[in-house]
Amino acid sequence: MHSVIQALILGSLTGGVYALMASGQTLIFGIMKVINLAQGAFVIVASYLTFSLFQMTGLDPFLLIIVTTPIMFILGAATQWFLLRPLRPDDAAELSLLVTFAVALGLEGALSIVYKTTLRSIMPGYENHSWTLWGYQINEVRFYAFLLSIAMLGVLYLLLQKTKFGRSVRATVQNPMSAQLLGVNSKAVSAFGFGLGVSTTAAAGAVFGLITPFNPGSHYDLISRLLTIVVLGGMGAIGGSVIAALIMGIGAALVSALAAPIWSDFTFFAVLLLVLLLRPRGLFGAKVRGAL
Amino acid sequence: MKLSTSKLLQRRSTVAAAVALTLVSASLISTLGNAASAATKPLTIGVSLSLTGDFADSGTAAQKGYKLWVSDVNKKGGILGRQVSLKIVNDASSPDQVVSNYTNLITQTKVDIVMGPFSSLLTIPASRVARRYGYSFIEPAGGGPKVFAEKNPNLFFVQPAATTKGGDVFADYILSLPAASRPKTAAYVKLDDPFAAPLADNIKARFEAAGIKTVYNQTYPSETADMTPVISGVAAKKPDVLVGGTQTADAFAQVKAMIQLKFNPKWLFLSNGASSPLEFPKAIGLKNTEGVFTSSDWYPKSTAPGTAAFIKSYVAMYGGTAELIDSTSAEAYSAGTLLELVAKKTGKIDNATIIKTLHTGSWPTLEGNLSWNAFGEPQGSYLLTQWIGGSLKTVYPAKIAQHAPMAPKPAWVG
Repeated sequence: MHSVIQALILGSLTGGVYALMASGQTLIFGIMKVINLAQGAFVIVASYLTFSLFQMTGLDPFLLIIVTTPIMFILGAATQWFLLRPLRPDDAAELSLLVTFAVALGLEGALSIVYKTTLRSIMPGYENHSWTLWGYQINEVRFYAFLLSIAMLGVLYLLLQKTKFGRSVRATVQNPMSAQLLGVNSKAVSAFGFGLGVSTTAAAGAVFGLITPFNPGSHYDLISRLLTIVVLGGMGAIGGSVIAALIMGIGAALVSALAAPIWSDFTFFAVLLLVLLLRPRGLFGAKVRGAL
Repeated sequence: MKLSTSKLLQRRSTVAAAVALTLVSASLISTLGNAASAATKPLTIGVSLSLTGDFADSGTAAQKGYKLWVSDVNKKGGILGRQVSLKIVNDASSPDQVVSNYTNLITQTKVDIVMGPFSSLLTIPASRVARRYGYSFIEPAGGGPKVFAEKNPNLFFVQPAATTKGGDVFADYILSLPAASRPKTAAYVKLDDPFAAPLADNIKARFEAAGIKTVYNQTYPSETADMTPVISGVAAKKPDVLVGGTQTADAFAQVKAMIQLKFNPKWLFLSNGASSPLEFPKAIGLKNTEGVFTSSDWYPKSTAPGTAAFIKSYVAMYGGTAELIDSTSAEAYSAGTLLELVAKKTGKIDNATIIKTLHTGSWPTLEGNLSWNAFGEPQGSYLLTQWIGGSLKTVYPAKIAQHAPMAPKPAWVG
C-alpha cells in the first residue's frame, strides 16, 4: 500500500510538471490549430537560458522565470511572424508541422554548438529536497511546479475567456475573415497567441532543468508526450490537458513502481488509443471545446 | 667521311655502353632516392570521428587524444624516423558516413594506417572496411559484444576488457568480502541498452551464484527521463546493494531520484555516468558523489605508467586541469601508443606487422597492460573506482588500490 500511495504522489507531481509544459502547447495546438513540434525544443531553450542566467547571476531559477518569460515570448512571436505567417492558409496546418520541426532541429543544432551535448543540471541547492510526510517523500521542486502549472493555467483561462485579447484569439480561430471584418488584427493576434504559448515554456524549462539533466536532444522525448497530452485532454480543453498530464504521470508511476518500468510509457499510449477509439475528440474535447 | 664497318660497330658499342651506364646510374639514383624518401615520407594515419551529431562530445575528446599523441610522437622524432601526419574526417555520428570516410581514406587519400572512430555503432561498419583492404584496426571506443562477434582478426580494442565486462570487478570485490559482511539482497536497475543491461546481468549471475538474493530486477526504456517511480519500486524492496546498468543521463537521473526519495543503499554501483570525473559531480552535486562505485579504464588519478606525462602534455596543449580530461582522450592516445610500441619492437610499421605483432604479448599503455584474443577482445579487467573525498580513486584490486573501499555508503547530502 505504501508503494501505491508513494507512486500516486510521484505521479501526480510529475503530471503537474507535464501539465505546465503542455499548457502552452494546448493554446497553440488546441486553440490556434498549429501543430507546434518545436514546443519541446522551446522548453529546452528555456532550460538553457535559466541555466546560463543562474550561472551568471546566482538568482533563484523560479525568480528567473520573470526574465525568461518575455524572452521566450519574443522567440515564439518571431517564429510565428517570420516562419508561420507567410504560409498559405490552405496549407498552413500541414506545413506548420514541417516548419516547426525545422525550427526544433535548428534550435537543437544551435544549442549543440553553444553548449555541446554535455548533460546539464540547474542546481540551486534545493533541487533534490523532499518533505517527508507520514513516511512519504514529496519533492519540493515538483510541488512548486504543480502549483505553478495550476496558476499558469488559471492565467491562460482568464486571458482567453475574460479579456478582449482572448475573445480576439477565439474569434480569429473560429473565422479569421469575420474577425478581421470586425476589426481584429488577426495577424498580430496569431503572433501574440503563439508567443504566449511559447512563453509558458520559460517556467516549464526552469522546472525541467531542475528535476532532470538535459542536453539539446532532450526535446524529442518531450514533444511526443506533450502532443499526446493535448490530444488525450481534448483539443483546446486547457483543463483537459491537466487531467491528461495527471493520467500520464500517475499511470507511468504506478506501472513503473508496481509492475515493470519497461511498460510505463506504453501504458499511457494504450490509454490514449483507448480514449481515441471510444471518444475521438479526447477526454474533454467534445463538451467543452475551447474552454476550461 | 666514311667510317669502316668495324669502327662503326665499335662506336655503336661505346654509345650503347654509355647509354646503359647512364640508365643504370639513373635507376640506381632513383632507387636510392626512393629508399631515402620512404624513410622520410610522413607516416599518414586516417581516422573518422564524430565531430558533430550525437557523439560529438566524445568524438571531439577522441580527436584531442589522437592529436596529442601525434604531437608527442613527432616531438620524439616520429615513428622509425618518419613524422606522423594525421588525417581526421567527420562522420557526423552516421554509420553510413563512416563507411564512406574509411573507404576514401584507404583508397583515395591512401593513408598508411587507419584507427578507430567513436562508439561500437560506428566501429562495426568501419572495421569491415579496414578488413576488406587488409588494414589493421586499432580502435579506442568500440567495445560492445557485436564488435567482437564480427570475428575480425585485424581489430584491437584499446580498453582493458569488453564493455559488458565492466562490472566484473565490482562482483570480484563484493565476493572478496567475508560472507558475514557481504550484502544479502541486491537490486538490478537496467537501461534497455546493449551495453548497460548485459553488464548488470553479468554481476547478477555472479551474485546469485554466491547466494546474494535478487529482490528487484527490472529494465527501463531509454526514454525514461524521470527515474523516481522506478527507484520508488526499488526502495520498497530495501536492497543492500543496488547495481545500476546505466549509460549517462539515466545514471544521473537514478541518483537524483534516490536523493529525492531518501533511499541510500549500502553499496551503489553505476556502470557508466559515474565514471565521468567532470559530468557526474556537475549533474548531481559533488557532495552527493561520495561512496558511489563505478568501474574505469583511465581517469586522472590512474596509476598506469605514462599518466603523469600524458596529463602534463594534455594540459600544455589544451589548457584546463587533469579533472577535465575525458577518458576517451586517453583511449585514443593509447591507440597511438600501440603503433609506437609495435615499431619499436619490430623495426617496421605496416599493417601486416601491426596485426601479427599485437596478437602476441602484453602492451603497456595508459589503459594498463593490454592483450587480446584472436578477435580483438581485450583480456584484462577494469579497475573498481569509488568517489572518495571528491574524486575517483581505485579501490580494487587491492594490490593497486589507492584507498580502501568505503562501505556502507554515506547518506546523501541532498
